[in-house]
Amino acid sequence: MVGKNCFAIASDRRLGVQLQTIATDFQRVFKIHDKLYIGLSGLATDAQTLYQRLVFRHKLYQLREERDMKPETFASLVSAMLYERRFGPYFCQPVIAGLGENDEPFICTMDCIGAKELAKDFVVSGTSSESLYGACESMYKPNMEPEELFETVSQALMASVDRDCLAGWGGHVFIVTPTEVQERVVKGRMD
Amino acid sequence: MAMKVDMSALETNFSIPCLDDGDGMHLSADSPDVPSMVLPTCADFDGFQAATKDMVKNKRGTTTLAFIFDKGVIVAADSRASMGGYISSQTVRKIIEINPYMLGTMAGGAADCQFWHRNLGNKCRLHELSNKRRISIAGASKLLANILYSYRGMGLSIGTMIAGFDEKGPGLYYVDSEGARLVGNRFSVGSGSLYAYGILDEGYRFNMSVEEAAELARRAIYGATFRDAASGGCVSVYHVGPDGWKKLSGDDVGELHYHYYPVQKTPVEQEMTDAPSTSA
Repeated sequence: MVGKNCFAIASDRRLGVQLQTIATDFQRVFKIHDKLYIGLSGLATDAQTLYQRLVFRHKLYQLREERDMKPETFASLVSAMLYERRFGPYFCQPVIAGLGENDEPFICTMDCIGAKELAKDFVVSGTSSESLYGACESMYKPNMEPEELFETVSQALMASVDRDCLAGWGGHVFIVTPTEVQERVVKGRMD
Repeated sequence: MAMKVDMSALETNFSIPCLDDGDGMHLSADSPDVPSMVLPTCADFDGFQAATKDMVKNKRGTTTLAFIFDKGVIVAADSRASMGGYISSQTVRKIIEINPYMLGTMAGGAADCQFWHRNLGNKCRLHELSNKRRISIAGASKLLANILYSYRGMGLSIGTMIAGFDEKGPGLYYVDSEGARLVGNRFSVGSGSLYAYGILDEGYRFNMSVEEAAELARRAIYGATFRDAASGGCVSVYHVGPDGWKKLSGDDVGELHYHYYPVQKTPVEQEMTDAPSTSA
């Protein structure tokens, strides 16, 4: 979700196999560089592999270009990598959030074969995506400060996952501003 | 005066020819307490039933348990209703009060369980009135099992436990829509039952106080709600003793988790509060 010169990216913490919960501290939001984060929902193994491949590509880019990748460029990279596997896809829906030029927040989401969808306010993915759209739509306001943004994102996430059997068991929220990154674990219903 | 044996439970329901008088259900004149369900007339009855079963999509997302101990029977259940991945309610009453000394648990299709438990309650009351004494738990569970057996294969989804206290002491029966009827001391039914069994079997002793037994049941259901995605909401615990059933507690599982596992303060926070303030 986008705020005033900042953005928030959040996920739940459940790792499960259909109805059985295996872990309640699974990380789905990963850092690419200080101002670029990617969240990967869907199959856990594909989320981890895709993240490792993206970190590898970004490190090569850093060596060649001697700077960090811009969020728009990174989104195109992810889209291309997903489409490479058009006929045997990664079962992941990424959510990308970063601060671009002049620290302008950039967010986008993709389906599992790389269809980019840019937005100005918020993007969601996962099993509770329908609930999340509803919650974010009603709670979002433009130009929120980091503290208010954190409240809004946490409330929207917790409300949505409480209506979904397959998501929840806590929340993990990152608030990224041009000067700092705040990482918080949110207490949620553990059922 | 000879007492007439009550054979109504042995009668099958769907051999009665059904005339639809507009409301879909009518009580046949010779056995007014047995509702006769209208059956659809179609070429491929079995195929139609299979298709209906798929359409209704019964999901047994639940955890219920019951066990006998020296002071009676404890019955506990969660309160979540799920439709696939969507949680449709967190406040479903899954323990059905059939009469003041008998409880039934609900797992499977909600409509099926509610209707047939109510129907069982009616039958038990009629038995009491015609035989001048309460029906035994064995008898009540047999009534239900026979009814469900006659509807076998038609898509009913019920996995219930009938728990109560009668002249022979505490009674617990597992009855399901396949027609099974099992007597036992400990049962757990539903998608979270395996997790509940793990905790229940470990902590179970025959001689326990009512509080200990209730805490065991609560802990077992809590464990199941934690691991099973389709169970959650609140834990209700009931106790059935010689004087009938009594609801012991209804706790929200979200709060119960932090009661069992309070959030630990991280060391960094503690260091900061302990550091002495320096004066300029």
